[in-house]
Amino acid sequence: MTENKANENWEPKIVAFVCNWCTYAGADLAGISRIQYPPNVRLIRLPCSGRVNPFYVVKALQEGADGVLVSGCHPGECHYLTGNLSARRKFAILKRFLSYIGIEADRTMFTWVSASEGEKFANVIKGVTERVKALGPATKMIKTL
Amino acid sequence: MENIEKQVREEARKLLSEKKVDALVGYEQGTLPYQAAPCIITEPEEADRLVWNPFCSVNLAKYVHDLIFQHRQSQTRTKPEDRTKKVVGIVARGCTTRSIVIHLQERQYERDEVVIIGVPCTGYIAKRKLFRALDGAEPLSCVVEGDTLKVESAAGSKSIPIKEILSDSCLTCRYNNPVISDINVGEPAPPMNPDGEYDDVDAFENLPTDERWAYFTKEMDKCIRCYACRNTCPSCYCKVCFVEQSQPRWVGVSVDESDTQVFQIMRIFHQAGRCVDCGSCVEVCPMGVDLRKFLKKLDKDGFDLFEHRAGESLEDPPPLGAFSTYDKEDFIFEP
Ligand code: SF4
Ligand code: SF4
Repeated sequence: MTENKANENWEPKIVAFVCNWCTYAGADLAGISRIQYPPNVRLIRLPCSGRVNPFYVVKALQEGADGVLVSGCHPGECHYLTGNLSARRKFAILKRFLSYIGIEADRTMFTWVSASEGEKFANVIKGVTERVKALGPATKMIKTL
Repeated sequence: MENIEKQVREEARKLLSEKKVDALVGYEQGTLPYQAAPCIITEPEEADRLVWNPFCSVNLAKYVHDLIFQHRQSQTRTKPEDRTKKVVGIVARGCTTRSIVIHLQERQYERDEVVIIGVPCTGYIAKRKLFRALDGAEPLSCVVEGDTLKVESAAGSKSIPIKEILSDSCLTCRYNNPVISDINVGEPAPPMNPDGEYDDVDAFENLPTDERWAYFTKEMDKCIRCYACRNTCPSCYCKVCFVEQSQPRWVGVSVDESDTQVFQIMRIFHQAGRCVDCGSCVEVCPMGVDLRKFLKKLDKDGFDLFEHRAGESLEDPPPLGAFSTYDKEDFIFEP
């Protein structure tokens, strides 16, 4: 994933871990409603935001993602009742920790998008893409071997 | 100090001869004069091997877990109704008891499988600091006299105030007296200086992002992936650690520096809400990696976000094993 990084036409690659029940459905809604959003995001569907092992985020960064997004159901609306509540704790710590060691805070983003929020999904992707673009290509902790 | 040592031996002998414990974990004189090594004794006569001095550094809770699990392992082919429990005794200071609390909270063993001899602690000597104070000369003999350490080395004799060479973890320790115990020896130790606990972390947080990254990479570049830090950590008791898992292989073993960084990030992250700041990892690290700077951040956030201090009490559940509808979510991105 190291190609084209210095290029001025550089476009960020963003990995998004989304839950099956809310955010993925939200993305679907954005799609069928024909709402435009930047094509920089690669969605990975998981059962729940609670299923997102913090390691996935770190791994994605190591493999060269310029930004990582994790999104699930709003608190209180989890399909598995509390999966996103334990996820919230993990990611509160993870986000602080990654920025503490010097990885820009905007490279790891967390949000909630419900199945009815197609509009919000598109805005989240726009927002995240803009922020990651502003940071430029990721250079830290990238595996080159 | 001598008094505590005498009482520890006395209690250990009693526990072993009354068969209240099957084995007892404590410290004994190491092979080097500035070393106390962990030891496991099973006979009352062996109690005199035990020592208690400022060289007793590593957290012994790890051995309780190891012994209990080895025993369980040896019974996998025994009929469930014939299986026995083994009770392990342990000489434990504040941080060691907090690690035991974590084990108990995480249901690793039952409270009746461990007998805790609680010892008040005034801190242990960080070997790196001792060597620095001696300009690298190898100590030939060390004698503790009150608050000073009398060292004989090839470079001559020297008296060092113990306070100056205590481990960083001890200097700001909040729990130098046991948080749980069955038997207490000695008088409670005077408090250390917990107010300055997060000074290091605060200062680091205020550095620019790239300086923080530069420091992190500089420290992790020293790491040779010997995993001594993991092996000594009482909270690292996983049967199969992620670093050895191969299906999938979580973390590469190449010389690429990102692999080491990822290993460290994840090991440190696994200590969220579980690091008791005993300083054992720092003490055993052969390369002198500043692990504490990063582990302490998790401790700080654990308190800041969830008002939790690792292993403080049996009633307070580990923060990542719990949740609340009212948890702070100021980090959530709203477009
Ligand atoms: S580093 Fe993590 S997976 Fe490995 S033993 Fe420690 S807690 Fe377990
Ligand atoms: S003990 Fe030190 S050198 Fe060994 S793996 Fe841990 S940090 Fe790396």
